[in-house]
Amino acid sequence: MVDVNEDSAASRREFLKQAGGTAALGAGAATVALPRAAQAAISEAETKPRYGMLIDLRRCTGCHACSVACKAEFDVPLGSTRSWVEYVEKGNYPTVSRSFLPRLCNQCTNPPCVSVCPADATWKRDDGIVVVDPDICIGCKYCIQACPYDARFLNPVTGAADKCDFCLHRVEQGLVPSCVNTCIADARIFGDLNDPDSKISKMVASNPVTVLRQEMGTEPNVYYINADHSDPRQPGQRHEYIRVDTHRRNQERA
Amino acid sequence: MSEEFTWGLPVIGYLFLAGVGAGALTVSASMFLRGGDHGRGMHVETARYGALLAPFPIIIGSGLLVLELGSFQAGNWLRFLNLYKVINLSPMSIGTWLITFTIGVSLVYAYTYVRNAPGLTTEQRYKLRNVVSWLAVPLGIATAVYTGILLGAMPSRPFWNSPILALLFLISALSTGVAAILLLRALFHRATKEPESERHIVHTGYLLTASDAMLIGFELMAVFLFAMYAQLTIGNVREAVSVLFTGGSLAALFWLVFIVLGLIVPALIEIYYVIPKLLYHREFVIPRGVEIGVAVLVLVGGFTLRYVIVVAGQITGPIGI
Repeated sequence: MVDVNEDSAASRREFLKQAGGTAALGAGAATVALPRAAQAAISEAETKPRYGMLIDLRRCTGCHACSVACKAEFDVPLGSTRSWVEYVEKGNYPTVSRSFLPRLCNQCTNPPCVSVCPADATWKRDDGIVVVDPDICIGCKYCIQACPYDARFLNPVTGAADKCDFCLHRVEQGLVPSCVNTCIADARIFGDLNDPDSKISKMVASNPVTVLRQEMGTEPNVYYINADHSDPRQPGQRHEYIRVDTHRRNQERA
Repeated sequence: MSEEFTWGLPVIGYLFLAGVGAGALTVSASMFLRGGDHGRGMHVETARYGALLAPFPIIIGSGLLVLELGSFQAGNWLRFLNLYKVINLSPMSIGTWLITFTIGVSLVYAYTYVRNAPGLTTEQRYKLRNVVSWLAVPLGIATAVYTGILLGAMPSRPFWNSPILALLFLISALSTGVAAILLLRALFHRATKEPESERHIVHTGYLLTASDAMLIGFELMAVFLFAMYAQLTIGNVREAVSVLFTGGSLAALFWLVFIVLGLIVPALIEIYYVIPKLLYHREFVIPRGVEIGVAVLVLVGGFTLRYVIVVAGQITGPIGI
């Protein structure tokens, strides 16, 4: 059920390039001359892609299409989620808000899950994607404990830790991840953060973006525009009604 | 509690049993070495109980851990051997190797206490016991400390992410190790006709009971510092530790079962029996039933500590998103 046919994949890539090109015209004026050393450092970094995702919550409708596409793409067992959408309700009538927070593995630059693995079954690839080899993983669940985002789970079928890998099998074929492909609102942008001309780099540069739990020092590669970071457990916010529905088996955030 | 824990009873059992085993190993080997006389020191009869016990809780605990592995439950029964294909800086990797060596050393150490052990003359047995004891003491301490580091290594679990947790687990391991030795001795020791040997038994019992009272004192201090520093900070850690205080879901278990029943009550009883000898140089006398009761309380306290810590770490997390 995985493959979109080659033609439409190619045309999608073409489309992304064009979209990037158009945006580049707009951003061109903002280009600043950099010292030579900095330029050298950048061009060296540019040789390798660093995949990332930007989720524009001004566009998200909370439709769960991403969650469903992900479930189907990987045949994720019942009760587990690689990708999910949280609803955040807050305020007291009539001053209320309801927003959505799609979640997935943050493919952290400093992944705490990788450093605790006793079997070297999970690692960060050169392109920034954190992967798990289910044939090496012993299922000790240390990485599940160590992830501050609760992005990992134990796959009961394989007995190994499992999580979002940005649809590595699709990305390797030049396709975008399944959740990005299916998003009805183009709220998800996937691309190479090391390529200054990519759409994601430009969007990240030209918008106020945030990451989740920045204070953990994990340096996530999943960015959000307009995310509501409210959490019911924040002591200062307890006077106000906040309810988070995670749409996961664990109703509460980890 | 409806919540499913990533690490459940097998892990709690492992942390407790590995602590008891490591504690018994360290206490037994160090009291043996302290007894002097190259293999037949004055504490050797009591050290024997610790030596013969130590390997079993460690092996059973590690076995429980294997049973809880996702790979084992999915039918890949030998997948856990992948642990032995690498050494990396994961606390679990270092711990795996450490605990493997500790099991090996504890088995050899126990074997030197088997009378008429095949393959060894008595003289060789004593010599081997002496050498292995020097390995057993640091390995037991390292294993006990490691169980705390395992939990402490994760910033994502603010309740566990404390340097004093490893120290707390070490003290608890030594205390429960002493309790296990005293319990076994109270259950299985039969009085001999040699008055010299009986005097040694009583004296060793006094030293162990007094040491346990002191260990519990240190443990109370470690718990106090753990809770106080968590309470004096703001943010994640303070939020996490609130499960132990008024209104927290683990408060009753922590205060009533662990602190009162598992630490304060046994410590007071031990002090009550130790004081006549300690202060007034009278004979140390403790009824066997009391010895058993105190040891059971300490062991229950040790298990409750692991239970509370492991559960508290998993029902709390970083606040905010």
